[in-house]
Amino acid sequence: MKKIIVAVLAFGFGIANAQEVENDSIKSMGSISIDSLQQSINEHQMKFDALNEQLSPMQEQVDRMTKLKISGYMQVQFEMYNYQDVPVVTPASGTTPAKTTYYQLKPNSSETNIPLSTNPVDINNSFNIRRARIKFTYQPLEGVIFVLQPNFSFSAVTLKDAYVQLNDPWINSFQLWIGQFNRPDYEVEFSSRDRILMERTRMSGILYPQERDLGAKISMNLATQYEIPLKIDLAAFNGNFGEGPIANQVTDVDSEKDFVLRTTYSLQFPKQGLGIDFGASGYYGKNTVFAAGTYSDVNNKPFTAAVGDKLKKQWFGAEIQVFSDLLGGIAFKSEFNKGVISGTAGAAIVNNNPSFNFSGERDFTGYYVTVEKNFGTKFQGGVRYDSWDPNNKLSGNEVTVAPDLKVHTWGFAVHYFFTTNTKIGLGYTLPINETSSTVGGIYNKDITNNTATLRFQASF
Amino acid sequence: MKTTKLKVALIVLVVMGIGFSFTTINKVTVKGSDTMVILSQKWAEVYMKKNPGTSIQVTGGGSGVGLAALINGSTDIANSSRPIKPSEVEKLKARYNSMGVEIPCAKDGLSIYLNKSNAVSTLTIKQIGQIFAGKITNWKEVGGADAPIKLYGRESSSGTFTFFKDNVVRTDFSPACQTLPGTAAIVNAVKKDKNSIGYGGAAYAEGVKDCAVKKDDKSPAILPTGATIKNHTYPISRYLYMYLKSKPTGETKAFIDWILSPAGQGMIEEVGYFPLK
Repeated sequence: MKKIIVAVLAFGFGIANAQEVENDSIKSMGSISIDSLQQSINEHQMKFDALNEQLSPMQEQVDRMTKLKISGYMQVQFEMYNYQDVPVVTPASGTTPAKTTYYQLKPNSSETNIPLSTNPVDINNSFNIRRARIKFTYQPLEGVIFVLQPNFSFSAVTLKDAYVQLNDPWINSFQLWIGQFNRPDYEVEFSSRDRILMERTRMSGILYPQERDLGAKISMNLATQYEIPLKIDLAAFNGNFGEGPIANQVTDVDSEKDFVLRTTYSLQFPKQGLGIDFGASGYYGKNTVFAAGTYSDVNNKPFTAAVGDKLKKQWFGAEIQVFSDLLGGIAFKSEFNKGVISGTAGAAIVNNNPSFNFSGERDFTGYYVTVEKNFGTKFQGGVRYDSWDPNNKLSGNEVTVAPDLKVHTWGFAVHYFFTTNTKIGLGYTLPINETSSTVGGIYNKDITNNTATLRFQASF
Repeated sequence: MKTTKLKVALIVLVVMGIGFSFTTINKVTVKGSDTMVILSQKWAEVYMKKNPGTSIQVTGGGSGVGLAALINGSTDIANSSRPIKPSEVEKLKARYNSMGVEIPCAKDGLSIYLNKSNAVSTLTIKQIGQIFAGKITNWKEVGGADAPIKLYGRESSSGTFTFFKDNVVRTDFSPACQTLPGTAAIVNAVKKDKNSIGYGGAAYAEGVKDCAVKKDDKSPAILPTGATIKNHTYPISRYLYMYLKSKPTGETKAFIDWILSPAGQGMIEEVGYFPLK
């Protein structure tokens, strides 16, 4: 019964609505003239034209904005240190009884490569802004790119990247870079926003201080146009960036240029889910002597250097990166460099590499081996062993000065991605230095300088 | 009585709770190519009917958008109507330590749409490229009427745009080329404008005519048909791909295996594309 009532009501509702339609304006269409329709269309057309007029300049502005891309990232971290007590005897000489005070080796500042820097009060933890960068990429035309990347720290804003990139429009294989940008090297060019281990290796930090330099680069990449996975970079740099006082880094100090050649080739085995990139590189440059004095050569023989003399700065390198699909993404990465590095000691001196504070030339070897693994899309971890031997000619107790001691560093890290753009990382770094009783003091044993880092990263 | 009802309700709730806890919904997300979105939705629809409890979520956005989503981890599968770029592979390496996995899943031909009243019906790839680059601006330069050429194309996030740019235009598009959101919009625009030209999937050419394409001056003119696209004699043919971060597992693997099986491949022609074999 209820169903019948509902059906009747529904039917009645339909009729009622149908009656409404009869009174609709459509019925009176016959009374509308073609002229009034035309007038209505014209009015609408005018409204559309007015809207178009408003939208056109906005579209122009949007088009202009799409040529500018802004990206960036920030890394803030909390660090915990082991610290080394350094005995400091006062007065260093004299008649009064000597007094020994223990100072702390300043965390993260030095082990063997630069002069000891000490804190009178122990510090074993600290908050730190590791990176705060914004990258502006402006592409006014196809194949012309301007890049500007400042880095913000709590006390200063420094310029990391500032270059123009021109792509060849004919065979789409060559690029010309001019300005300030990363030196060609796998680890140097790999952005720290994607790096799993907390810091670059000691080797990269010493060979490429501040990673960047001022110069020009021609890059040939045959992958895009010819599907040949070969890339060759040839760059020329001033060669003094990141060394000595900042004032000396804005222009070249000696007209000498450093040249870098790097070539890489990529093999892909899609069925095996395997990719192997390998390459070789060469660095050829010179350091000019700006402070006359006694220097030592690669055989530790002292010699007198005059202002204007040239010291060798040249090495060759090999690299390999293996990417495998095994268990959802695992990578093996390694680089090796061997050659001669040179410099002048003294923080205020031109061509003083802050991580190689040494007057003379040294025959060095450096390498690292890294294994990185992704665990699903949220976790990733890595282990790295890196080795830096600044003086191949001497080892152990033969070493007479701290900067000649070899350092091996173990690094461990795991990351968790909160979202695609935010992650938290926990890392631990263990530098192990060669010991020498000849150098003595704190170098009689491994310096206590391990660091644990808890890092938060946000990028956009 | 009330107590009994309460007990029954509680038992039902507990049973339902236990039941639901065992009923896992296997969700797979697919994002990317607008060219592939209808095909992909159809695959998902049929697969979900055959596999209750599985959820396949398909969205478009363009090949570039799909691959970006794969790189930043917001999709399981990226549909792409163009091969992945070396720069995108580098991003996968940096983020996931893997090269990515490429799975060709269908074939397609890019048709050049002309208005039915256009006297021109054959063009070489070079001419098409010059037309879309803005170097040929009047139909009379390619044997047609004395009328300016009106260009319609896709937005830059589209894989069809990238494929057409890389393989046909080979330089910048003319600024006069009007970008439209989707192939259907391009077909519609060409249908209405007798001096216009557009490009898009061969399956969409309804109400417009396909231009016969010559590889060069001496080559024969080929129309985009099933046979010419399958055997690659039509010069603007391409594969349609699915990309993953690493080898598929679980429900994603089951879905892809089904797509590549005769059942999944058999559905491709219904949507207007062509199976791999």
